[in-house]
Amino acid sequence: MITMGIDIGSASSKVVILENGNKILAAEVVQIGTGSSGPRKALEQAFHASGLKQADIEKFVATGYGRSAYEDADKQISEISCHAKGVHFLIPDTRTIIDIGGQDAKAIGLDEQGNVKQFFMNDKCAAGTGRFLDVMARVLEVSLDELDDLDKLATEPAAVSSTCTVFAESEVISQLSKGIAKENIIAGIHASVSSKACGLIYRLGIEDTIVMTGGVAKDAGVSRAISKELGKTVVTAPNPQTTGALGAAIYAYEAACRK
Amino acid sequence: MDRINYIINELKCIADNPKKAMDDYKKATGKGAVGIMPLYCPEEIVHAAGYLPMGIWGGHRKISKSRAYLPPFACSIMQTVMEMQLDSVYDDLAAVIFSVPCDTLKCLSQKWKGTSPVIVFTHPQNRVIEASNAFLVEEFKILKARLEEILDTKISDESITESIRIYNENRQVMREFTQVAAKYPHIINAVTRHSVIKARFFMEKSSHTALVKELLAEIRQLDPKPWTGKKVILTGIMAEPNEMLDILNEFDMAVVADDLAQESRQFRVDVPDDDDPLYRLAKWWQDFYGCALATDVKKYRGEMLINMVKEQQADGVIVCMMKFCDPEEFDYPIYYDQFQQEGIRSISIEIDQESQAFEQIKTRLQSFSELL
Amino acid sequence: MADINAMKAKELLAHYQVTLDEEARQAKKEGRLVCWSASVAPPELCVAMDIAMVYPETHAAGIGARKGALDMIAVAERKGYSLDTCSYARVNLGYMELLKQQALTGETPEVLANSPAAKVPLPDLVITCNNICNTLLKWYENLAKELNIPCIIIDVPFNHTMPIPHYAKDYIAEQFKYAITQLEEICGRPFDYDRFYEVQQQTQRSVSAWKRVASLASHKPSPLNAFDLFNYMALIVCARSRDYSEITFNKFAEELEENLANGVYAFKGNEKNRITWEGIAVWPHLSHTFKSLKSLDTIMTGSAYPGLWNLEYTPGDWHSMAEAYTRIYINTCLDNKVDVLLDVINSAKSDGVVYHQNRSCKLMSLLNVETADKIQKETGLPYTNFDGDQTDPRNFAPAQFDTRVQALAETMTARQ
Repeated sequence: MITMGIDIGSASSKVVILENGNKILAAEVVQIGTGSSGPRKALEQAFHASGLKQADIEKFVATGYGRSAYEDADKQISEISCHAKGVHFLIPDTRTIIDIGGQDAKAIGLDEQGNVKQFFMNDKCAAGTGRFLDVMARVLEVSLDELDDLDKLATEPAAVSSTCTVFAESEVISQLSKGIAKENIIAGIHASVSSKACGLIYRLGIEDTIVMTGGVAKDAGVSRAISKELGKTVVTAPNPQTTGALGAAIYAYEAACRK
Repeated sequence: MDRINYIINELKCIADNPKKAMDDYKKATGKGAVGIMPLYCPEEIVHAAGYLPMGIWGGHRKISKSRAYLPPFACSIMQTVMEMQLDSVYDDLAAVIFSVPCDTLKCLSQKWKGTSPVIVFTHPQNRVIEASNAFLVEEFKILKARLEEILDTKISDESITESIRIYNENRQVMREFTQVAAKYPHIINAVTRHSVIKARFFMEKSSHTALVKELLAEIRQLDPKPWTGKKVILTGIMAEPNEMLDILNEFDMAVVADDLAQESRQFRVDVPDDDDPLYRLAKWWQDFYGCALATDVKKYRGEMLINMVKEQQADGVIVCMMKFCDPEEFDYPIYYDQFQQEGIRSISIEIDQESQAFEQIKTRLQSFSELL
Repeated sequence: MADINAMKAKELLAHYQVTLDEEARQAKKEGRLVCWSASVAPPELCVAMDIAMVYPETHAAGIGARKGALDMIAVAERKGYSLDTCSYARVNLGYMELLKQQALTGETPEVLANSPAAKVPLPDLVITCNNICNTLLKWYENLAKELNIPCIIIDVPFNHTMPIPHYAKDYIAEQFKYAITQLEEICGRPFDYDRFYEVQQQTQRSVSAWKRVASLASHKPSPLNAFDLFNYMALIVCARSRDYSEITFNKFAEELEENLANGVYAFKGNEKNRITWEGIAVWPHLSHTFKSLKSLDTIMTGSAYPGLWNLEYTPGDWHSMAEAYTRIYINTCLDNKVDVLLDVINSAKSDGVVYHQNRSCKLMSLLNVETADKIQKETGLPYTNFDGDQTDPRNFAPAQFDTRVQALAETMTARQ
């Protein structure tokens, strides 16, 4: 039995096609989000990769910021529940998920069955999200892909302490004009994002295994900074941007089995 | 059901159109309205003068003019109130009464941008001694005198006593309403419940009481249906706008009780008996409990909420955190810890009157309903 | 044994702050009572009963100045305190949480061990007064609840109309009396009214010495840079009812008066402009703000802060004491607030005004626009504002401050 999950975020669209609730046939990411051609492109890519078509799909669940507008799905489930489902499937020992996306950050606490116990989110403020990294990368004139490698060269993280992205931007510009090395500023930026994420995790209570998901997980500099701040190992989920869509596909499978 | 829908619709129309409600009142009585800033102003004194006490609770509005006078970190409700002052929305009010139980209201009381005269009074916060009542009586005397001057009328003790009677009756009926609403969530949903309660801010209280009494009589004739959704309790200053309450409806979350300043806190406690009506109104403040704006070194609010959850067998608490409201922000960590100890599930959402997009709140509330 | 007579004012300031903390720790060790108090709450009642006093606001300011605020704030924020709340409260509630953990487990949390915070003991009671804000009611409610200890409240209702009415003083006086019954119960012995009278007199001497120092900034050129008042403030807060503050301030006044007589000024000859600073200091960036202004030859000579502690009253007269504690300028209507500020600005012979829009303090920020407007109309003086915070270092951008005060300095200079 084939099921599908689609996760429509602010900055990207993700699709996972699943066989019998446990075999991943396709996991595609398109870097365009809700209200655009992104979701459709992601679907096309997923069908192409798996050799399947819409009619082969038994059940289909939508999640993410754009889920309500997506009318084709059989059901809509929140991305908190879907990330939990997806990550628990991949790493059953997970008790804490830190998901940092384009416009929000979440800390999700799970029990042994993978059910959500509690969650905390930052979704009103750019600080601590992918948007913050975007802004800073632009100021430093580097690409997001370069952030991890440059971070590894840092000798002493610069202080980027402001709670406000706009203030932080002015801090970074001041540091650049003082001649502080880009690598050190990047380390400081990573520490700043980490600090916001850890704030959410502390509200939850730290419990191993800690897993990181979301687009920002692709920047290992952030997970290193979180790991350092918590004094704990942080595992990056495989294909971290697709865990929400995976969870949605699993939910679809469970719903199909119940019929 | 027709009569029920009719009454609900009437109350909803009033709740959604305060200006019309005020104009209708003026036409009917020849007397205008006096603005009542949140929180806990002695409406009865205004009522006794024959004027309509109109609650001022801001509104769903974009902020632009207000930016010139308030930094972004002033609480959301005062931002929209200021915006509406600058848009001359309140200028038909004969007067505006301010209480100042928080730092933000202290400041706002000093900078009214509309044209109405402003009357300020201060609640005592050492509510455990008799001298606190004596202080508030003096404040109310001055308030009454200023009102008499502005409205060019005399307010007698008898009329205040009668207004207290009317208000106590309304409080009683409203408490009944919240009980009935908890038993009939398929008839009184989150939006309806809010409208019925909010309408009382824009109606002469005895008219409101009459309508609600009739509504309750009609509803009680029907059989309660078992509720298959979740049951939640709301706590905070206010739970608006309707788009946010719609989300509760969408995910089958019934509001079985509330601890909102705009709602149940208004009628949780009756004005007590005594000879002097102003003393009675002052003593109400001393008897009042469970609000972040009324100092309580024992911090009974958490225990009160836990009791509410148990009584109503609620599945969880939704904290409606007014954006940038300090008193509410200080209470939160204390009662949150108490919830954790009792295994009570809760979630905090931000109430921002300026918000035009509700996807973020939808995600949070949906996730909350999924984990309950 | 330190020789008080030989010490300079600066040394006395350091010495007495250390002494006060040591006295509090010693009291705890010996089983005597310790009280945490709001900065402008009346200390006379507790000091009369020999209770050791600790002042969370000053304690937090010190932590902020020593760059240790973020660690404490993180502890509070983990408990669920919003970053919108007063940073003094967050620092203190974080510190209290760590002390609590230490007391419960017998082990010192690492964050506490590494903190530059002065070591003070947990309180047996707290006393609060809302003459400087109502946030102090909420903060102290939480301290009392978390530690399960009594909270004495001196509620001074917001004076929406001046002058202060008699019935308000009645209410406050009754609270003093109620506080006494609370103290008698907590201490298990009758209130010492004789000692109380002595303590009131001492308080008046301290206040008088404080005024003596503060008034020296009105000289032009000034022997006193009011930034120093931010530092010496610690003693008028923490030792108002003790002679520590009287001794230190009189010493400081003597030094300044001597400098004045000898033509020795704070900016040595480079005093180009004089400003009034309206608002609290930016403790984590104090040095930056001072240096930035100094580099522009701009001296701060005006601040409403010293006046907060002009708590002059007649010892033995409850109503007089009540009036002193309620008439704090931020506890009064806008017109009175402006009058007090105008007085400060004029006495300080100011050329301009700097308004600190303090992210942590709604009471001192939400009327800045109207205050600045009225003062501008009265005095014609140029002014600027900047974003800052009293203890949370994240809410201040040095570049913003520098740009704005530079623009102000240029305007002031052009007007001369």
